[in-house]
Amino acid sequence: MAPTLYMIPPSPPVRSVLMTAKALGLTLNEKIINFPAGEHLQPEYLKLNPQHTVPTLVDDDGFAVWDSNAINPYLIGKYAKDDSLYPQDLQKRAIVDQRLHFNGSVAFGAVAGIVRCILYEGKTCLDDNDKTRVEQVYAFLEAFLDDGKPWMAGDCLTVADYNLYATVSAGDVLVPIDGQKYPKVATWFDKVGNLPEAEATKKGLAIFESLISSKLQ
Amino acid sequence: MSIKLYYALPSPPCRATLLTIKALQLEVDLVPINLVAQEHLTTDFLKINPFHTLPTIQDEEFYIWDSHAINCYLVDKFGEDDGLYPRDLQRRAVVDQRLHFDSNVLSARFAAIVSPILREGARIIPKDKSDALLQGLTLLESLLEKSYYVTGNTLTIADFSLVATVSSANAVLPLASNRFPNIFEWLARMESLPYYQEANQEGLDAFATMLKSKHLVRQASAVK
Repeated sequence: MAPTLYMIPPSPPVRSVLMTAKALGLTLNEKIINFPAGEHLQPEYLKLNPQHTVPTLVDDDGFAVWDSNAINPYLIGKYAKDDSLYPQDLQKRAIVDQRLHFNGSVAFGAVAGIVRCILYEGKTCLDDNDKTRVEQVYAFLEAFLDDGKPWMAGDCLTVADYNLYATVSAGDVLVPIDGQKYPKVATWFDKVGNLPEAEATKKGLAIFESLISSKLQ
Repeated sequence: MSIKLYYALPSPPCRATLLTIKALQLEVDLVPINLVAQEHLTTDFLKINPFHTLPTIQDEEFYIWDSHAINCYLVDKFGEDDGLYPRDLQRRAVVDQRLHFDSNVLSARFAAIVSPILREGARIIPKDKSDALLQGLTLLESLLEKSYYVTGNTLTIADFSLVATVSSANAVLPLASNRFPNIFEWLARMESLPYYQEANQEGLDAFATMLKSKHLVRQASAVK
């Protein structure tokens, strides 16, 4: 039986799980959560995830975990043929972990904060503060890539690239990446976007883009 | 060459790493960094960590920052067993989720209150920001309903990150024990750890003193 992913297609963290699953050749049973109808606050869902967020993964033995930064390493550990996406080497892994915590707290924090205001608080345009916040994320990522290595955590593609790509692709909708200011980020973004597994994120990203553009003036 | 820890005692994430180091009984060179004197912005420190955050550790030629990444690394490398950070994939995933809950939710919401105070001279704790933190703590309260520690009945590094954050939040807000009885029971359990005084309480006291001197005003909250 395939693991179940509770999700909504446009969510960046959901898209990172879809990308990871595709890279692993893993089929997920996708279940859309109806947020407007309050489905995320129903007792059945709260039992799986008391934080009532998406994505939530329920593995085939009933084990439930949420937060894409925890889900993806779990899926890789369980289903990957090798450890390249989440290295067993402790130093390489520590760098990936640091990038994942950056993704969750700083990068997604910036993007989600703005998106929340647009979707739920009637914000109709981005102000200078918003643009600065997103650009600060790009500046950090440009610095992560400063050593000339091709991927966010070094020489090899890892889950850090997937999770950051999902967040940055949402950021790019809000504040397009300026290739002059952030050339390494722009190159990395195109490279990850052209990976076969990125295909799994495109449908949700298109929904996200139209959601945002329908609210912004 | 032993591990070097670059840290500032009042900083909650530094205290999470100190708790981990003490729990592992690791010999570590402690290198205090004076943030007020901007020692984190010196050329030497920027070479170690261009993002100039604390804690940062140095293990021979390897540098890593972010307390959560550091603590995972330390247990995996130096732990006599995997109790503090289980190798079992499912148990590890739960620890990872709690670590991200600390960085993405509780620490982030706490920093949103404290950063303006420490960096911009703010004196007010805005209602919406304290409500957001209390909402996060309400979730932690429910996670502790049926277990002694934040991931279950075993102490892990998730407890170290969360106790550093929550004890610091309690020093700033402070929290009502009748609203958060599970959190207070868990705090007492953590305080009884033999290394808690040295690894967290001393820095927490310094942090609390620093904030008390600012004479903060908390906007009245409708959330009880």
